[in-house]
Amino acid sequence: MTNFPIAIPRAWRRTIAASVLLSCLFFAGGCKTSDDAAAAATQLTATAKSLTDYYSALDTILAETDQLNEVQVVLYEIPYDTPTKAMIADTRAEIQKREALAKGLTDLAQSFAKLTGSTASTDASASAAKLETEVESLKPIKFKMSSEEQNGMKIAIGLVVTAIQEHKEREAARGISQFATALDGFFAKEALDYESIGKDYAVISSSLAKSLLQNGQTDPSGYFKVTLDPYGLIPEVTDTKLRGKLEKLAEGQVDQKAQALQDSQKSATDDMEKSLKQMSDRIKLVADDKPMEVRIPPVTLANVEKWASEFSTLIP
Amino acid sequence: MQSALAELETTYFTLQSQIGPLLAACQTQAQRDALTTQYVAARSAYWSCVNKAFHDDDPAVIALTTQLDAANDQLKKAVQELGNIKTTIDNITQVVTIGASLAAKVIAV
Repeated sequence: MTNFPIAIPRAWRRTIAASVLLSCLFFAGGCKTSDDAAAAATQLTATAKSLTDYYSALDTILAETDQLNEVQVVLYEIPYDTPTKAMIADTRAEIQKREALAKGLTDLAQSFAKLTGSTASTDASASAAKLETEVESLKPIKFKMSSEEQNGMKIAIGLVVTAIQEHKEREAARGISQFATALDGFFAKEALDYESIGKDYAVISSSLAKSLLQNGQTDPSGYFKVTLDPYGLIPEVTDTKLRGKLEKLAEGQVDQKAQALQDSQKSATDDMEKSLKQMSDRIKLVADDKPMEVRIPPVTLANVEKWASEFSTLIP
Repeated sequence: MQSALAELETTYFTLQSQIGPLLAACQTQAQRDALTTQYVAARSAYWSCVNKAFHDDDPAVIALTTQLDAANDQLKKAVQELGNIKTTIDNITQVVTIGASLAAKVIAV
């Protein structure tokens, strides 16, 4: 077979080669940003979910604390005054607002993820419309933060909505970064209050548990379950001396558990704060068009989830 | 120096963790009533502060926090030793009164 080589002038060949190279660089660059943005969006979704779970656990703790105060009325005849009950209910309402905010952030992160993964402008419009509704729903929330901080968050959300409508992922990342930084600062500012709520729960529940133990109002025979279960036997401790020993042992366990509750919440709070900071830094990299090396959500989130799951089975 | 919340926490949690033995040590109904009144006041001061933003930089708050810090040390000792219940209740009353002033100041700032 005869070859008919096409004669292309050298100058043209150089131009074509340069164009191909530029196109490759352009697309590679574009893909890189999209990759990073998609990874950041996925990680932000995980972080926002953990934040939601953190607040949900605090809400459960407050509901339990309210009930523990009622138990005190029966056990010690200590009045549960209406103003204190109202303050606990109000604190709970505030925590629920923060939980709603964290859920809003989860939705926002998911919308951002859709934007980075899609090419159709209709997807972006739908995300933007959904976000606008979220922004509206966030407006009436009364935060315990300065109006400057609150405005900063609102401006950031507005920026995200516009950027998503215009399909500009870097601008959207800039808005999310601004929002995440404000949220991180807000969380850090209130962290001691959150820990104090958990401490109150641990102190009041352990105090009541020990009081019931000391007054012989518990059945400590469950301690022997491990010995008798394999043989289908049910423990029944009748010996007073043995009961006394078990009650003393149980008191020690109550103290240990109460301390562990406080320690685990402190550790979860610290880790949540670290995760929010890490996310804020990573999204800033995307916004500044710098490479985001880390591809997994902050590792500290696992500890937050572990702590929050301890309170998922208690009363809602 | 501790924060206002930490001091109010100490007062309320010290009473909370020992409320059973303290009530058991009371010999009269009047003593029990006095103790529960102080406990309710300490709990109320604590929740008032959890519910509000803190302004520890206010000089009056700083002064009261320092005062409460010293009183809390005495309270812990008195509750631990649990000697004369009347003296202990007096001690508790003194600490809770400072705590209530601190909570009022924090809320007002």
